[in-house]
Amino acid sequence: MTYVIGAPCIDVTDRACVDECPVDCIYIGERSAYINPDECIDCSACEPVCPAEAIFQADDALEEELAFVEDNARFFTEVLPGRSAPVGNPGGAADLGDIGVDTPLVAGTPGR
Amino acid sequence: MNTERIDRVVVRFAGDSGDGMQLVGDRFTGQAAAFGNDLATFPNFPAEIRAPQGTVHGVSSFQVHFASSDILTPGDAPDVLVAMNPAALRANAADVSVGGVVIVDPDEFTKRNIAKAGYVSDPLSDGSLAHLTVHQVTMGALTLGAVSELGLGRKEALRCRNLFALGLLSWMYGRPTEVVEDYLRKKFAKKPLVAQANILAFRAGWNFGETTEMFAVSYEVPAAALPEGTYRHVSGNAALALGIIAAGWVSGMKVVLGTYPITPASDILHELAKHKNFPVLTIQAEDEISAVGAALGASFGGALGVTTTSGPGLALKSETIGLAVMAELPLLVVDVQRGGPSTGLPTKTEQADLLQAMFGRHGESPVAVVAPSTPADCFDAALEAVRIAVTYRTPVLLLSDGALANGAEPWRLPVIDQLPDIRPDFSTEPNAADGSGTHWPYVRDQETLARAWAIPGTPGLEHRIGGLEKAADTGAISYDPANHEFMVRLRQQKIAGIDVADLDVHDPSPATTRTLILGWGSTYGPIQDACRRLAARGVPVAHAHLRHLNPFPANLDDVLARYERVIVPEMNLGQLALLLRGRGATHLVSHTQVTGQPFKAGDLEAAFLAYMEGVAA
Amino acid sequence: MTTLDEPLQVEGEQQPLSGLAMVPRGPQGQKPADYRSDQEVRWCPGCGDYIILNTVQAMLPALGLKKENLVFVSGIGCSSRFPYYLDTYGMHSIHGRAPAIATGLAVARPDLSVWVITGDGDALSIGGNHLIHALRRNVNITILLFNNRVYGLTKGQYSPTSNQGMVTKSSPLGAPDAPFNPVSLALGAEASFVARALDSDREGLAEVLSRAAEHRGAALVEIYQNCPIFNNGAFDVLKEPGSERRLIKLAAGSPLGLGEPDDQGRHSHLVVRDGGTLRVVARDEADPAQVLIHDPADPDPTTAFALSRLSAQDLSYVVTGVFRAVSRPAYDDDVRRQGEIAAEASPPDLEDLIFAGDVWSVPTHRGASA
Repeated sequence: MTYVIGAPCIDVTDRACVDECPVDCIYIGERSAYINPDECIDCSACEPVCPAEAIFQADDALEEELAFVEDNARFFTEVLPGRSAPVGNPGGAADLGDIGVDTPLVAGTPGR
Repeated sequence: MNTERIDRVVVRFAGDSGDGMQLVGDRFTGQAAAFGNDLATFPNFPAEIRAPQGTVHGVSSFQVHFASSDILTPGDAPDVLVAMNPAALRANAADVSVGGVVIVDPDEFTKRNIAKAGYVSDPLSDGSLAHLTVHQVTMGALTLGAVSELGLGRKEALRCRNLFALGLLSWMYGRPTEVVEDYLRKKFAKKPLVAQANILAFRAGWNFGETTEMFAVSYEVPAAALPEGTYRHVSGNAALALGIIAAGWVSGMKVVLGTYPITPASDILHELAKHKNFPVLTIQAEDEISAVGAALGASFGGALGVTTTSGPGLALKSETIGLAVMAELPLLVVDVQRGGPSTGLPTKTEQADLLQAMFGRHGESPVAVVAPSTPADCFDAALEAVRIAVTYRTPVLLLSDGALANGAEPWRLPVIDQLPDIRPDFSTEPNAADGSGTHWPYVRDQETLARAWAIPGTPGLEHRIGGLEKAADTGAISYDPANHEFMVRLRQQKIAGIDVADLDVHDPSPATTRTLILGWGSTYGPIQDACRRLAARGVPVAHAHLRHLNPFPANLDDVLARYERVIVPEMNLGQLALLLRGRGATHLVSHTQVTGQPFKAGDLEAAFLAYMEGVAA
Repeated sequence: MTTLDEPLQVEGEQQPLSGLAMVPRGPQGQKPADYRSDQEVRWCPGCGDYIILNTVQAMLPALGLKKENLVFVSGIGCSSRFPYYLDTYGMHSIHGRAPAIATGLAVARPDLSVWVITGDGDALSIGGNHLIHALRRNVNITILLFNNRVYGLTKGQYSPTSNQGMVTKSSPLGAPDAPFNPVSLALGAEASFVARALDSDREGLAEVLSRAAEHRGAALVEIYQNCPIFNNGAFDVLKEPGSERRLIKLAAGSPLGLGEPDDQGRHSHLVVRDGGTLRVVARDEADPAQVLIHDPADPDPTTAFALSRLSAQDLSYVVTGVFRAVSRPAYDDDVRRQGEIAAEASPPDLEDLIFAGDVWSVPTHRGASA
């Protein structure tokens, strides 16, 4: 199981969750943050600190959030625009810095 | 020389704890058994391993009662006392029956030894033993003479003095000698010189009796009319250990004993450790808590978890027993009671752990409690305790005591294929009522209320249990108020509903008897003996003895209601009486004694009479 | 499968025997999800226990055992909830007693892989006696000691591994107790396998855990674990930049060093022998003859102990990995073997046992006439 970052993060990217995550599995794209489902330990530390209330547990996803469950995973498994390989499971976001690109779903979401 | 025929005799050997009194007592017992007498024994030893030599608190003794008829106790007062030194005399002389025989070694009565024993004057010459027949036999000197040909050192040679005494007593009561000599040859097979010395001393004792004119008569105690069967002589602890092995055998469960050495329970460990060819594994743990923990862990794995201890150890085990109550796993906890509180009287007997066994845990934590009544009965009691533990998935407290543990009697050996059928009945299939195909560990048998028991290694039935309150059926953690209420009452109901045999009453004349003596545990012998004496006086009383203390037999209230007066003798301050009063019994007389010694039949006889005549009610 | 009657035959096993040699192998292709129970995990958000749980669930499939032959036994404390979250057999027992319960289980059942989950309070305070004796006996169990240096479940009192002077509700003026070094304690208790890992280093933790499970005998793994509520950040210096100057990762057979490796993979600092003890020195100051080459299989625990002393309570240096892994007979194997040998010499027969010794018969007629 894993936690997932949904639409309310887009263009907010507050990063409070990044400070809380004990395993550093929250990665920053361009407009949103993404939780690595393989690295997430399901500890729920991130969820209450998000000012946008963007984080939810995959099992509790609402109908309209389901797309983001897959999309968070896709951020790590698929080759993102402008990159030669998937992000994969680097074992920590801090060393990587911001990835700087988003998944097509996030990139295609209209700005507010 | 005359030989006089007598029905019974009580002999006590007493000496320093290093004098080998337990060994000769044991051999004398073996001789009586081999001869076919009924018998009962009572060893009594100091708590110290080697208390200062020659002092009263270093005295060790062994009493043997043997008879041509059925007997129940080691005897109230010795007819014969063999006292190896002044201290042994001082510690035991007052117990000897009036007119009884005392055999002493006058060479031991030096000024120094007399003073060490705490005498102010020489008891052999100051007239204080005038009511007894005192024989002065220079046992030490005669032993030295007998073994002189072997060239042993003086100290080593004198160590055979106990066998001289045994030889003398063997002559006096016409005991078979071969069994003793065979034993010595076997025991000292690796030290033939020692074997030889002991045999020579033994024969010298016999020959002394044969040739001296000191003794006017020797005695014959004919064989007893025991029921048909094969017998062996057994102590309570040995019988208990064998019962545990037998329980493992009939249930098909591996026995895992977790224990920590403690007097007077350690011999159960020693006995079980000897029989590792059976599926019996013994763990000598680092402490009492670990011992019961290991037993419970083994039970979780589907083995028969057993722990053995005495009162102080039971106190330490209480938290784990509580876990076994909550986890509803079988566990046999043997408490060989001793005098308390605290370290108390480690080598003496008492029955003061009944309430600890019943209630000595936090929370509502019911367990089954059973108590053997005689040394040989420890075998059957162990099987019964395991039957309850396994059938009902519950800890069972078995309350033995110091008198049963070390006391011994002839045991009519059981027929193996008539031993009780004990089946763990492990779950192998999912039982979840929601059709999820999983295992719900707290689904119950409707009749016994025993929970389903799946052991690790059973595929598909993986589950977790523990000390937190369980939801009914699923066994999931539950803090729900109604569920806790339900589960507390259910656990109580399960124990209360254990199927136990009705209470038998031995009533010589049911139409007229108005007094019932109700006992439990090791007081069986003295109570029954006292009752027989009363019957012989024409004052019949009824006797019932509780094997099951929790739950009580279903007919207990009916039995109590049948009598005007119920006397409850206990070696505590009235613990069973308290439980009975809690059930509403009002016509009870609690008769108690806490000397660290078993009841004497004569004392009970007098006490029962006094209560019946209203003198001491 | 259950083997209450006879232990599994071990054929073709290499010495030393694996801790899992008698545990039946399970199906191929197991997944972490197979080891998740249906219970909702109830630790505090961000608790290090989640990482350990996750790592264990991720590493168990690789052991390739039948999951019904795994048993997790815990005591009391936050960490001791662990068994509820794994879909294996488990027992959540009482405070400090898990090693005792696991000992009985391991003795009774050689076909099980028995794990103990415990914390610093559970293992080192109330259960200290059982821990040292389980290690001394070398019972075939794997002990995971979650060390967060504080009592969590009772809400924040200092523990036997807390820093001296730590201010808590029970020590408003600072804890007066000196702490244990759990690795030193385990080595002193004759443990045959001792390791340390960090919750934040999942890879290192997983590796140490599988080696511990494979060890035959008692294996103790101390895991530094963050308590976000009562001792938050206690081990943060070990994951922050600069931690490479503190962390000494044990690897058998190579020179022991620390510090950012240079382009040739050489550490800036090395561990050297200095008389009877160990010291950290800069590479260019190190006498090559004195540089420590780690050997966990060294039968003499002296160097392992010196390494444990190099780990300081203030985390100035922290040694992780396997300190000691030596082969010596496991207690439960020996207990069972005694029984097997005895049974071979004298096959058990209840009738023989009961009718042994000096027995005599009383025939019917004597009973009737006497």
